[in-house]
Amino acid sequence: MKKRFLLSALLLVAAGLAFSFPAQVLAGGKPIILGLPTAVNTDWGHDDINAVNLAVEEINAKGGVSVGGVKRPFKVQITDTRGMDPATPAHDALMAVEKLILQKDPHAIVVGFARSEIFMAGMDLIAKHKIPYLGSYATTHMFQKQFAKDPAKYKYLFRLSVDAIAAAKAVTDAIDTLKRQHGLQRVFFMPQDTLLSKGFNGVLKRHCENTGWQVVGWESIASDASDFSAVLTKVKESDAQMICTFWDVARGGTILLKQWSSMQVPALFVGFVVGANSPRGWEFMGEEIEYSIYTEAPIGSGIPLKKLPKTRKFVEKFIEKFGKPHGQWLTGAAYDSIYVLAQAIERAGCLDPDKVVAEVEKTDYDGVIGRIRFDDTHQVVYGTDPKESALCLAYQWQDGKQVPIYPPAVAEGKVRLPPWMKK
Amino acid sequence: MLSLLIYGLIQSVILVLYAYGFSLVYGISGIANFAHGGIYILGGFMTWCFMNALGLPYFLSAIFSVILMGLLGFGLYWGLLLRIRGIVLSEVVVTFVAGIAILEILAWKGLYGFYYNLPVFVKGGISLGDVAIDYQRLFALGSGIALAGLLWAFVHHTRMGLSFRGIAQDERTALSLGIESDWVGALSLAIGSSLAAVAAILVLPLGVLEANIGYDVLIYAVTVAIVGGLESGFGMIAASLIIGFGQIAVARYIGSSWMIIVPLGAIVLILAIRPSGLFGSFKELEERI
Repeated sequence: MKKRFLLSALLLVAAGLAFSFPAQVLAGGKPIILGLPTAVNTDWGHDDINAVNLAVEEINAKGGVSVGGVKRPFKVQITDTRGMDPATPAHDALMAVEKLILQKDPHAIVVGFARSEIFMAGMDLIAKHKIPYLGSYATTHMFQKQFAKDPAKYKYLFRLSVDAIAAAKAVTDAIDTLKRQHGLQRVFFMPQDTLLSKGFNGVLKRHCENTGWQVVGWESIASDASDFSAVLTKVKESDAQMICTFWDVARGGTILLKQWSSMQVPALFVGFVVGANSPRGWEFMGEEIEYSIYTEAPIGSGIPLKKLPKTRKFVEKFIEKFGKPHGQWLTGAAYDSIYVLAQAIERAGCLDPDKVVAEVEKTDYDGVIGRIRFDDTHQVVYGTDPKESALCLAYQWQDGKQVPIYPPAVAEGKVRLPPWMKK
Repeated sequence: MLSLLIYGLIQSVILVLYAYGFSLVYGISGIANFAHGGIYILGGFMTWCFMNALGLPYFLSAIFSVILMGLLGFGLYWGLLLRIRGIVLSEVVVTFVAGIAILEILAWKGLYGFYYNLPVFVKGGISLGDVAIDYQRLFALGSGIALAGLLWAFVHHTRMGLSFRGIAQDERTALSLGIESDWVGALSLAIGSSLAAVAAILVLPLGVLEANIGYDVLIYAVTVAIVGGLESGFGMIAASLIIGFGQIAVARYIGSSWMIIVPLGAIVLILAIRPSGLFGSFKELEERI
């Protein structure tokens, strides 16, 4: 009697424990660890973490990722590389990533290295540890060149974010319109002294030279600069009508815009200036940024596009949960990278890095950034048709709103010239 | 040329504002306050909080912030530094840790990006010939010069200021005259911290309020102090002018990416040629922080 009672009690307890455990544990659902090294205390790092967490939440709510028939949830492990701080040495950022890899043993890395210089140095680190890396932060075009030197070594690295050249090309049509329809001719280039910025401006400069613009200046500026009076004086003296720049450091970008306004420099900003290039830009910069032309690269980073329902829904969901993104670059790519990885793991049926990588290569996914396919250098293909490729766009601040002006697939308005421009 | 003169002067005065609190504290109490950059940013952030969280007017928020930073400086001395007074390395470590803690906690809590801003006092500006200058920069310029004058008057013509000078010149003699060094030390840190907050309120509206700026402010303050001479007010002003004009001239005639070389090169040069600084009196390198 006593034995039967004890046995029944034990069975009851076991049943109770079994039903109280989450389904994924019963199914053997050990988490799939996603290492997320990034510059946490930056606008893009902050937005990317939110985007990744949103995707992870959605996937886990459906039970997780099916790995060989067993549902396993994603689990994110974040580490701060401080890669965007002007004074952070590349070595420190790399060490932060290696520590994450050795201590947390992630199955994949997402978002990834921030500053492009650090990314280039980190490619060997990822290749050494053979971990699938789906990057959505650094955007130097040098990635493809390095990859092509040894595809077998670097095969673990993929990039969903745009490269600087593709992002710059989204702006060139706006530049052509300024010349063709509004008669502007003189341009001054003011890149930040970083790989990405100089690459971006280099593309714009070549385009301007080939289309009859007069390049009246090129001055690269240290990313921790806190005074732009000298270069803005040069811009004024050169009678430039357009300033092309790419500035992703918040402090410098804000000082640049404020000083441009206070010094009354009559030239239009075209390119990327953090602060103004943000869905929150009007809130914090005000009417000073009206008429300036910037890029959203890729789409899905803040503008709810009327012509692309999936992108619009993601942006609206993101805003509802987290508020407007701080930056305007990369959020959509970070979100899509999780779905790309999940689908690749499911197709591979396991977490073996080589098998997962082989499946990521075969990706053909309709994401918030457009159609996601990788080229031979593991870079997502960018173009002008979201049915064929991922997309960047150029927009202009008009009446306090970000109006997409290019490419035609997503355009909602045309380029307007400010009344204070001299022709 | 006019642009170089005007913006060179503005940049120099901004450096004076950064360095004043740091130099004052070292000159009086011999403490190199490496929390200076953290207190600068905290002063700016408290002003933002008073305005946005409590809805106070700008002017009142600024005053409260300056007073609060003064109390913080006083507390830092009385609570922490008093116990290790005279152990130079420990003083450096404690102030450095305090500064890092302030900045890292603020960064952790989200003080980065362009989200936080202090508004300018008056929008708009004037034109001097072809050179446009905003009112905020003019205000910072005027305030910096006025502050220098006020502080000179304070240390030369007030009882407390004379006490400060007494301690700075010879602590033992000052003690024998009834001037209490710990009290003076705490007050000097309080005033130095208040000056950091004043600098923040004048300069931060030109850009953005971000925790990382505190590190740059500390570097500039230490650079100006070393180049000018750690305990020399006149040296601090001279160093600010040299570095400020140097940066703007280099940006104008060589390239903007070379601006950062000016303060770093100045440190290397002064330590190689005259380690005590342009107007410093200490001769031994070991006596420097």
